[in-house]
Order: sequence, then structure tokens, then C-alpha cells
Amino acid sequence: MIAMSFITKFFTFMACVSGGTLLVLVYLDNRKSRIDDGIAQFQKHINALSPESRRNSVHHNYDERRGR
Amino acid sequence: MARDLAIDLGTANTLVYMKGRGIVLNEPSVIAVNRQSGEVLATGHDAWDMIGRTPSYIVAVRPLRGGAITDFDITERMIRLLLQRVGVSRFTRPKVVICVPSAITEVERRAVTDATRRAGASDAQLIEQPMAAAIGANLPIDEPVGNMVIDIGGGTTETAVISLGGVVALEAVRVGSFDIDAAIQNYVRREHGVAIGERTAEEIKIQIGSAEPGPQDRSADIRGRDLVTGLPKTVRLTAEEVRFAIDEPVAAMVQSVKRCLAKAPPELAQDFLVRGMYLVGGGGMLRGLAARIERETEVPVKMSPQPLEAVVLGAGHCIENYQALRGMFMGSHR
Repeated sequence: MIAMSFITKFFTFMACVSGGTLLVLVYLDNRKSRIDDGIAQFQKHINALSPESRRNSVHHNYDERRGR
Repeated sequence: MARDLAIDLGTANTLVYMKGRGIVLNEPSVIAVNRQSGEVLATGHDAWDMIGRTPSYIVAVRPLRGGAITDFDITERMIRLLLQRVGVSRFTRPKVVICVPSAITEVERRAVTDATRRAGASDAQLIEQPMAAAIGANLPIDEPVGNMVIDIGGGTTETAVISLGGVVALEAVRVGSFDIDAAIQNYVRREHGVAIGERTAEEIKIQIGSAEPGPQDRSADIRGRDLVTGLPKTVRLTAEEVRFAIDEPVAAMVQSVKRCLAKAPPELAQDFLVRGMYLVGGGGMLRGLAARIERETEVPVKMSPQPLEAVVLGAGHCIENYQALRGMFMGSHR
């Protein structure tokens, strides 16, 4: 009875530690991806403002109007 | 499937950009309404022709003043009509990006988005006019250099310093080209005792108005109503008189540019001396204005190739790259 109680407690403890570790790992992984997301998002934002990106909308309209 | 739209809802003109098609509508922000029935009788050019010439039961108004909605109900109807004219129906609800002055209050911001959603948009996002103008004027705002844009509209003058895709310094005043028209009206009334309408004042500004003396200074005969006799009267107005009349609003615009320059970080300020400042908006087309700003600030001023369309083209670029440029919309948190 005493041994079983010890084993139950041990496994409960191990399950809690594993669960906690897993949560920490998931949190750290998310945090890392959020930092990467920020860089990627900013790069996307800057790229969308580049002259190449504006070729289809702004340049195209200027050229079209000049040609009229 | 609805094509998404960008709208430059200006105090003077409204322009609409349709995704994939470019500018599809450009007309004055005026609406004529029957006072008795509440029916809309005309919008745009047709309504503009009616200003000051309507019988008592018709009112032709500009629902925006100083870039802000002064009549929510009429603005909503105007936006609804605009959307209908570019093919938006009950079943096609596009995303809409609207250009607004940066000095807009929270209440005004909500009024514009509500009016647009109620008019048939599935999503309404706002973008600051100077930011849209900088994109539309093709400035290299993706680079870490100082880009300065001065947007002079009908009701507002906004100056912004932009670098790396974001606004670094901003200065806005509710003074625009309509204030110049009003100054001309007041001067003619005060000095010549003649009442003229806002359309006549605008014509005077276009014909002989200037911010700096120039070789093309001319005079013009203007017709109005004598305030004493009530009879039609013609008076001659010189370019110098007009320059004197409009000095106050012009000075307010130049002061606002100076304040923005003072706000800019020193690293970016040195870029302006090399790259200059860019003037956009209809108000920027006033003769001699670029020269006056240049003289008073000692920074070169360049005119954008399409001053009237730069803002809507910039907003159009945002609608073409909606996901990537979401962070530019007002109220978004990057």
C-alpha cells in the first residue's frame, strides 16, 4: 500500500515536471517564432514599398495617364 | 467578387482607385440634395455646377470641411453613390481603404469608417494622407533616408517626414486651398464692397493667385454683387492684391512646414537639403508656393508629377498589397 502510494506520487510528480517542461518549451518556441515573424513582417512591409512593388500600381498609372 | 477600393475622400475632390484597374473616378466632393424630400439630385461635377445657383429647395453642399465630415448622413449617401457608380452592389462588398487627414480625431475616424461600412464596404481601413501621398509620389520611403512630403489639400495642410516605411515627424493644420478662396472673398468684400461666390474666388486664385511675385503677374476683371446698391458690378483685381489677400493662409501653411522641419531628427534633416521636399495636393499648385516655401525654409521644393492623384495612388498601392501593408492603417498595431 505504501509502495503503491509512492509510485503514484512519483509518476504524478514526473507527469507534472514533464508537462511543465513541455509548456516552457512550447512558450520558448512560440517566442522565437514571434521574433522571426516580426522580422519577416517588417521585411514584407518594406518590400511592398519598394519601387519594383510600386511598378504595377503607381508607375503603371502614371505611364497610362501620360500616354493619354 | 468585389474589387477592393481605395478612396481619397478629400474636402475638394474625391478619387476612387479600383484594385487591378487604377483610378476609376475623379470628381468634386459635392452633393446636391432636395431639402424637402431628402432625395439626392446630383453628385460630383453636376452638383459642383449647382453651387450658389440653386433654388431654395435644393442645397448643393460639400459634406467635408477641413478633411472632416460635417454632415454624417450626406457623407454616407455620397459614399454609397460612389460605391454604386464603381460597381459595388448589395452582394459585392469590397474592402475599402480611405485616405484621411492625420489630424483626424477619434470621433471623426469612427464617423468615416461607419459611413463607409454602412455604405456597403465589408471592411473599412484608414490611412494617413501624407503617408499615402509619399507612396503615390514615388518617394523612396522603403530606404532609411528622410523623405519629406507636403500635402496641401482643400481643407488641410499636412507635412510628414517618412523613413523606412513609417512616419517620423508630422505636422498638420486645418488650413487649405479653401481658406485661400475664403480670404479672396473677404478681401473683395472688404476692399471693393463686392460680394463674390466661392466658385468665383476659386477662379481668381487659379487665374491670378500667387504666393510669390513673378513675371506673369496679371490683373483680372471680376464680377459680383455691389454690397451697397445690390446691383451687379465689375471690379479689377491685381495679382499683388490677391497675394496680399491670401498671405495669412499661405503663411500658416509655410509655418506648418517649418514646424515639421524642426521636429525632424538631425540625421534625417540633412537628407532634405540634398533630396528636397515634395509638394502634392491641389493646393500645392498655387503659383509661387513652392518658391515661397523654398525661400523661407532654404530647402529645395519639388512638385510631384501628379499632385492631385498622388494620395489615391498611394492608397491604391496599399489595397494592391493589403496584407503586407496592413500595419500602415490607422489604429493598427504593428
